[in-house]
Amino acid sequence: MTEAQIRFVSLLRRECSRFWKIKRQTLGAPLLETFLYISVFGAALGSRVKSLHGYDYVVFIVPGLIMMAWAINAFSNNSSSILQQKFQRAIDDQLSSPASPLELLLAFSLGGFLRGLLISTLTFLCATALFAVSGDHSLPVHHPLVLLAALFLVGFFFSQLGVLVGVRAEQFDDVSFAQTFILQPLIFLGGVFYSSALLPEPYRTLTHLNPVYYMINLVRYGFLGYTEASVALSLGLLAVAVAALFTVNLRLFTTGYKLRA
Amino acid sequence: MAFEPQTDAASTSGTPGGPPALAITDLVKQYPTGTQALKGVSLHIPEGAFFGLLGPNGAGKSTLIHCTTGLAGPTSGSIEVFGHDAVQHYAEARKAVGLAPQDLNLDHFLTLEETLDFHGGYFGMNKKARKERAAELLDAFSLSGKRNDRANTLSGGMKRRLILARALMHRPRFLILDEPTAGVDVELRLELWHYVQRINQEGTTILLTTHYLEEAEQLCDRVAFINGGEIVAEGTSADLAKQYGVGSLEDAYLELVGRKELSRASLGEDIA
Repeated sequence: MTEAQIRFVSLLRRECSRFWKIKRQTLGAPLLETFLYISVFGAALGSRVKSLHGYDYVVFIVPGLIMMAWAINAFSNNSSSILQQKFQRAIDDQLSSPASPLELLLAFSLGGFLRGLLISTLTFLCATALFAVSGDHSLPVHHPLVLLAALFLVGFFFSQLGVLVGVRAEQFDDVSFAQTFILQPLIFLGGVFYSSALLPEPYRTLTHLNPVYYMINLVRYGFLGYTEASVALSLGLLAVAVAALFTVNLRLFTTGYKLRA
Repeated sequence: MAFEPQTDAASTSGTPGGPPALAITDLVKQYPTGTQALKGVSLHIPEGAFFGLLGPNGAGKSTLIHCTTGLAGPTSGSIEVFGHDAVQHYAEARKAVGLAPQDLNLDHFLTLEETLDFHGGYFGMNKKARKERAAELLDAFSLSGKRNDRANTLSGGMKRRLILARALMHRPRFLILDEPTAGVDVELRLELWHYVQRINQEGTTILLTTHYLEEAEQLCDRVAFINGGEIVAEGTSADLAKQYGVGSLEDAYLELVGRKELSRASLGEDIA
């Protein structure tokens, strides 16, 4: 490996070792949370709703839960990791190394991305296992390429968002505010647990103004083949949003905004 | 504890007559708040020197170090480490520098071994080299028994040792010690000075900031006083004492900060 490759792998290993060391909190808790959503909503609400657009209710919500798990974990991992290191000033060890802003940004981004990937994969496997055991449902994958593209873009988008909030944050309250008051409402109101087609106005239009709605639709389309929005347009806009956020973050790392004095 | 220098002599010896270890020219640093921490500082530290940078709190010592190591961006001026630009194309410059900062800035999630291993990785060392070097340094700093403990479980003195070990991990040619003995007991302080002096003799250039002036006088072959963001005097300890018309570096420093009544020579006079 070249020096640059060793450097990047070390930066990334550091990010992964952080969440791996506290895996009960960073992997166990989110996995349990998603499992409870599937159990509670699937069992309780599913017995009344029966089906949505031809799919069993529990099957209809699982794609959104997988996306939500990736999004929230990618975001919270990166925002917390950067802020913690800023508080301890441990980040100075990376900042005073020969690593470039691009290497630093990619390593910080991929830490959360990989944590989200791990939890989403485990969520998918758990859901598949649950459905297999119950024998009533199955989780199809109708458009694997769209699904992979959507999940990767969503994961990278929320990783970048986590980096942005972590860099800008000055206290832990800033991170929890962004997660509790902005991110989670957007995700929950984006249609993880319901179809916007069932909503009366003005809630349907309001849902359509929520960017997360299009992300959930993309992932649901990948799994179930059902969508309420244009797949091509949603993918295109998501790719543009990811690129824009990455550019902003790269600028922050290059100028050292709230990282260097 | 017995610090045994493990510095690779080959990696620390430079080319005779080569560029200085540190060449700072007209360095200005103004913070967004408007505070001008450095007001056109110029400083040259020759390779192999043991150089002391002394000044009161807030004089600009740490800012100068931060600008040199990439932890602060200069407003204007240039910084070169062994002839390599340390601001724009900084990779080579940073490879040559080891920083032991004033703050105990260890990552609480990492063990001692991981702390050194990751640091070596950030500087491009391969796995085998990292493993060997980490073992050498943990041994040299009497930290081997705690290699698998998390850094946050260490005492203050042990954290200092780990920070110094981390700074030396990638075998820097230029070691910056920012208040390395703050809060450290006498025994450890002296052992640390012996260690640092030996690696200096083996070729590593040292930049030291400390409030222990008698030690700076003993260790450093050149000293600069910085005050209010400007280098106000530079030379050997004897030069500075002579320049201020006093007998020691400490008294010269007290003259600089306008507190000559605190001179050790006048200790006890009030009682008498």
